[in-house]
Amino acid sequence: MPTATEVKKRTVRINGCVAAAQAAKYADVDVITAYPIRPYTATMMALAQMVANGELDAEYIVADSEHSQLSIAHGAASSGARVFTGSSGVGVQFAYELYSPISGSRMPVQMMIADRTLDPPGDFGSEHTDALSTRDMGWLMGWSCDAQEAFDNHLMAYRIGEDPRVLLPQMVCQDGFFVSHITSDVELPDSGQVKEFLPPYKHPYPLDPRHPVSHGPQIMPEQGPPLQLERARAMEDSMAVIEQVHDEFANIFGRRYDPWIEEFMTDGAEVVFFLQGAHAVTARFAIQHMRDKGLKVGLVRLRTIRPYPTDRVKEVLSKFKVVGVVETNMGLGSVSSGGVLYSEVCAALYESQQRPLVVSFMAGMGGEAIVMKEFYWMTQKMMEAQKQGKIEKRTHWVGFEE
Amino acid sequence: MPTIEVQRQVLPILGSPNQGARFFNPELPSSEPFVPGHRTCAGCGPSIQYRMTTKAAGDNTILVGPTGCMYVANSSYLCTPYNVPWAHTQIGSAGSFTAGVAAAYEAMIRKGKWKGAFPNIICEAGDGSASDIGLASISGALYRNHDCLIICYDNEQYANTGIQASSRTPYGGMTTFSPPGPKVPEAKTLFPKDLARMMAAGHPHCYVATASVGYPIDLMNKVRKGLNHKGAAYLMIYTPCQKGFVYETPRSIDLGRLVVECGLYPIWEWNPEKRAYDYSFRPQNMRPVSEYLKLQGRFGHLHAEHIAKLQNFANEQWRMMGVELPEALIHAADAKNLVNMAAAVEAETVAQTL
Repeated sequence: MPTATEVKKRTVRINGCVAAAQAAKYADVDVITAYPIRPYTATMMALAQMVANGELDAEYIVADSEHSQLSIAHGAASSGARVFTGSSGVGVQFAYELYSPISGSRMPVQMMIADRTLDPPGDFGSEHTDALSTRDMGWLMGWSCDAQEAFDNHLMAYRIGEDPRVLLPQMVCQDGFFVSHITSDVELPDSGQVKEFLPPYKHPYPLDPRHPVSHGPQIMPEQGPPLQLERARAMEDSMAVIEQVHDEFANIFGRRYDPWIEEFMTDGAEVVFFLQGAHAVTARFAIQHMRDKGLKVGLVRLRTIRPYPTDRVKEVLSKFKVVGVVETNMGLGSVSSGGVLYSEVCAALYESQQRPLVVSFMAGMGGEAIVMKEFYWMTQKMMEAQKQGKIEKRTHWVGFEE
Repeated sequence: MPTIEVQRQVLPILGSPNQGARFFNPELPSSEPFVPGHRTCAGCGPSIQYRMTTKAAGDNTILVGPTGCMYVANSSYLCTPYNVPWAHTQIGSAGSFTAGVAAAYEAMIRKGKWKGAFPNIICEAGDGSASDIGLASISGALYRNHDCLIICYDNEQYANTGIQASSRTPYGGMTTFSPPGPKVPEAKTLFPKDLARMMAAGHPHCYVATASVGYPIDLMNKVRKGLNHKGAAYLMIYTPCQKGFVYETPRSIDLGRLVVECGLYPIWEWNPEKRAYDYSFRPQNMRPVSEYLKLQGRFGHLHAEHIAKLQNFANEQWRMMGVELPEALIHAADAKNLVNMAAAVEAETVAQTL
C-alpha cells in the first residue's frame, strides 16, 4: 500500500467519510482519536485500516468518550502534533466542554463532522444542529456538499487553521449520509502537490521540555478580556488567510472555490434559496427544473459560516427580492422560532439599503431529502411574498402546511 | 517511512531508608521543577507532594494539570511555579489530555519530528478529578497503556471550590456538602471509594501504588518506578489539606505519617510483572484512629460509635494487608470503649451556623 508521501494523482470513487480520511492521510497526521457514532465512524474505520496497512504512521487512539477524544486531541496538538478527530450528533455535544478551551489555547485541532440529528428521537439522519450549536466557540466552520469538496476543505482547513496568523481549530462539516455515505468520483492529488500546499505543523509554543511554557493558567478577571479579544481578532484575521489559501489551492490543485458563497443560477433571479451543505446538490437540480418553467429562482450556498462573511452575505442577498433560508437545523424558540440560520441572514442584511424579504423554511429535517415538489412549494411561498410585498410568516415547516 | 526508535529515560531509585526520613539526603537531585511563587496555603499537602514528585522526575518532564487546587492556586497569570512545560486541562480530562501528550511524543519522536529521550509525562489530578469526574478518562489512559504517570493527589475533598465532599472523603468527614446535624450526626455517611485498588484491579498491566507525604523517599521512589515503568502508571498520594481538614499548619507531615500508622491509608505497590500486591511497607507504629482524628477539626463532631466505625474500617485495611491486629486496636473498634470527640457538641453548633 502506498503512503501519502509517494502517490500519484488519481480519481477514485469514494464517499465523504473516506474522502475525509484520505485528506487526513495526505496531511500525514500524527495523532488520530476515534470514538464510534454513526455516521462519521466510517472515516475512523478507513483511517484504522490505513494505519494497520502501514499507509499512515500515526497514533490511533480509541478514546473512552467524545469528551476524551477532544481532550486527547487537545493534549496532542498542544505538544506539537498534527491531530485529526471527528464526531456526529450527540457525540459532538458530549465533547462540548472542550471546544472553548481548544480554541482559547489556539490549538489548530481538526474535527470532521458528519451531521446527525440530536436525540430525541435517535434519528440517524442529517441535521446541522450538532455542529451549529458550537458555532460561537471559536472554531472555523463550514459545510461541504460533496465528497470532493469535503476532501478539499479538509486540506484547506489544516492550512488555514495552522497558519501562525490564525491558529484556530477547524470543524469541517458534511451532511451525514448525503455526503458521508454517497460515493462519487474524487480526484486525489499527487503527493507533491500536497507537500507544496501544506507545510508541516509547527506550533510556536508547544509543550516542549527544552522550552518550558505554561498553557492555560488561571487568571484575574481583568486578564480575561484581552485574551478573548485576541481570539476574536484571530477569527477576523483568518478571513484574509482563508481567501489567500483558497487562491493557492486553486493554483496548485486546479479547483477554485469561492471561500464564502456559491451562487447558482442567480442571474436574473428574484427569489433565492439560502442554505448550507448537501441539499445544494438537489437544490441545483430543482432550480434548473424551475428555471426551465420560467420561474426566476436561484441558489446561494454558504460555504463558511465561521468566520461569518457578513459583508458578502449582505452584498449578495441584497440583489434579490426574497430570500428563503433552508435551515436543516433547530433553533427552538429562536428569532424565527425555526432555525438559527435565519437570524444570521437577517443580521447581515440589516445594514443593507435594499433589504430583501426573508423567510425561513424548516426543510430537510430528520435527514429527509428535500424533494422537487417541496422546492416548488417553497418557491411558490417566496413568489407570493414578493407579490404581496410582505411575508405570510417567518417560518414554514415544509410538509406540515397546505 | 523511516521509523526512529523511541529512547526512554531510566531514573535511579534512591537507596536511603524510607521510614519517614527527615534528614538531609545527599542523593536527592538539586533540580527544582516546582519552584516557590505560588499561592497555595501554608502547609499545603498537595504542593509538598508536587515538589517531591517533580524533584524525583527531573527536568525532561511535562506536567498536565486538570482543574483543582494545583491549577487554581499554583498558576496565577504570568507567575506559574513550573520550571517544566505545564498545561491546564479540564477537570474531567485528566487521563485523556495526558494520553494526547504521550501519543504526540510517541508519534513525533518515531517520525523524526522531535529529537530526544521520551519525556516524563505526569498528570497531577486532585481526587475530585481522579475519583469522580475524570475517572473514565484516567481508566482509558491506563487501559491503553500510554507511557505516562497519573497521580491522584488525594486531599480527600474538592478543596479549591470551598471544601466539598468527593468520593474520597472519609466516613465522618465534615465538608460543606456533608455537614453534621441532628439528623446526620456523623456528617459524611459513605466510606471512600477504594480508588487505587480499583485502578490496580482494572488495569493489572500498570504499575499502581499508594504513598503519603509523610514518607518522602518512598514517595519519590514510587514516582520514579512509575516513570521507569514502560507504559501507564498510577499513584494515589495522601496530601492533607489544612483548610479542609482544619489542623495546625506545621502538622502536615505528621498527619501524613499518622494516617498510615492508624491504618486509614494503606501503603502498597501493585507489581504488574508478578500481578500481585506488595504489602511489605510497614510504618514504625500502629495506633488507634482516634490519634489521627483528634488533630483535625473536620472530625470534631464524631461520637464514639462513629469513631468505632472508622476503627473497624482501619482494622479491615490492616487485615487486607495481612497484618496481625494488636488487642488494643480490636478493643478500640468497640464504641463502648470510646468517648465522643471533646468538641462534638460544639461542632454541631458551629455546623448549624454554616
